[in-house]
Amino acid sequence: MDKLLNTVVLMLEGSEITLEIFFVTLILALPIGMLAALGRLSTIRLLSRTVEFYIWLMRGTPLMLQLLFVYFALPMVGIMLPDITAALLAFSLNYAAYFAEIFRAGIQAIPKGQYEAAQTLGMTPAQTMRRIILPQVIRIVLPPISNETINLVKDTSLIYILAMNDLLRVARTIVQREFDMTPFVIAAVFYLAMTFVLTWGFKKLEAYYGKYEAEG
Amino acid sequence: MGNTKQKDEIMLKMRNIHKAFGAVEVLKGIDIEVKRGEVLAIIGPSGSGKSTLLRCINRLSTIDQGSIDIKGQCLALTKPSGEVEYARPKDMRKILSCMGMVFQQFNLFPHMTVMENLLEAPMQVKKMPREEIQPLAEELLKKVGLYGKRDAYPAKLSGGQQQRVAIARALAMEPDIMLFDEPTSALDPELTGEVLKTMRELAASRMTMVVVTHEMAFAREAASHVIFMADGNIVEQAPPEIFFEHPREERTKAFLQNML
Ligand SMILES: Nc1ncnc2c1ncn2[C@@H]1O[C@H](COP(=O)(O)OP(=O)(O)O)[C@@H](O)[C@H]1O
Ligand SMILES: [Mg+2]
Repeated sequence: MDKLLNTVVLMLEGSEITLEIFFVTLILALPIGMLAALGRLSTIRLLSRTVEFYIWLMRGTPLMLQLLFVYFALPMVGIMLPDITAALLAFSLNYAAYFAEIFRAGIQAIPKGQYEAAQTLGMTPAQTMRRIILPQVIRIVLPPISNETINLVKDTSLIYILAMNDLLRVARTIVQREFDMTPFVIAAVFYLAMTFVLTWGFKKLEAYYGKYEAEG
Repeated sequence: MGNTKQKDEIMLKMRNIHKAFGAVEVLKGIDIEVKRGEVLAIIGPSGSGKSTLLRCINRLSTIDQGSIDIKGQCLALTKPSGEVEYARPKDMRKILSCMGMVFQQFNLFPHMTVMENLLEAPMQVKKMPREEIQPLAEELLKKVGLYGKRDAYPAKLSGGQQQRVAIARALAMEPDIMLFDEPTSALDPELTGEVLKTMRELAASRMTMVVVTHEMAFAREAASHVIFMADGNIVEQAPPEIFFEHPREERTKAFLQNML
């Protein structure tokens, strides 16, 4: 029993890094993704093209490779980042690219008539964005954002390769030392619990932002 | 207020309006004039430039040549160099604020209730407190017969109800001129009546209106003037009695024949 308690305590410590990566990535990647989406839709060609290239680069290469790159390649050119910062940089830039595409699709799904109606009522472009467009975009993007967020929970385990003591690495260390599979089971329960909470939370959000829809 | 509301005040004056999309000239020198309380009906085949003309009035489209005056204020003019100059942004907002528009596709804000749709612009644009605008909004909803639906979301309403809300929403900004772009074309035939009734009442209350429509009966009864457009030109214009009883142009006759 003591052994199990000890294992759980060690793994809770490991889950701290996992949670940190998860939350900080989410908090950074959502606004960066929104800005990137607006940049991608900008009529300024250079801006739009630059963002397009960034999105292509981030979505076209494995996150694992991006992690290794910031971790090993940047120091070679003299850029030294603390481990956790390096990991957060890679995660945030990667996820921002996915979020950007989701936001872009959401913004483009709003009919032109919504902008025109707001304009003929005298609303400024900023008011139109904030009051008319974004609330509808949020409703549209919640399901795909929810998907990506759940992916992020599991992707946090990629920092395993950076020798940081996240949940998965702690689990493996104990398994190798004790020849006991329990830590893997505990890790699975942990990921499942997070996914469960997120699924529930997003369902509530979808219901809140979707209350204006015909059904229900 | 008093003497600016005189009957003959010219609300809208457009001179020699030209507009092209790329190489395609859609408006080829249009002149119109609308006085206070008049209802101008614009009819014509699809693609003749009716919507474009209407959208040029409130700058949803910009003109390539010509001039637009709204209530005696210059919205756009053509300089001797041939370049079109619009009013400065601040003046432009003020000039445009006296016009409301109703679209074929209603364009209600789907994430807001009926009441919120009406309150949004007065509160955001005019910065009116809710208590101040709410009575007018309620009165407007009663007028269009939808007070009972004030807390419903647009998705729960029929097309005819949505369009009446859209009219009330535009009226909540207390415009002097109302523009309608085929307000009943997206509706099932049995729902057009309720929208046309609301528009007739608006016309009877002396609202200045420019209405693009395929509803000949409405044009005949409610309009003070009818314009027939084809290929970016005004082919014929007359008061409705004359226009419908004694059309002069062959194209007008053929078009009216088809509509009956
Ligand atoms: N934004 C646009 N870009 C290019 N062509 C357009 C645009 N809007 C309208 N047109 C063209 O202009 C012509 C007139 O259109 P429109 O004013 O909508 O006619 P109507 O309302 O009389 O049916 C049509 O040939 C249409 O294809
Ligand atoms: Mg049209």
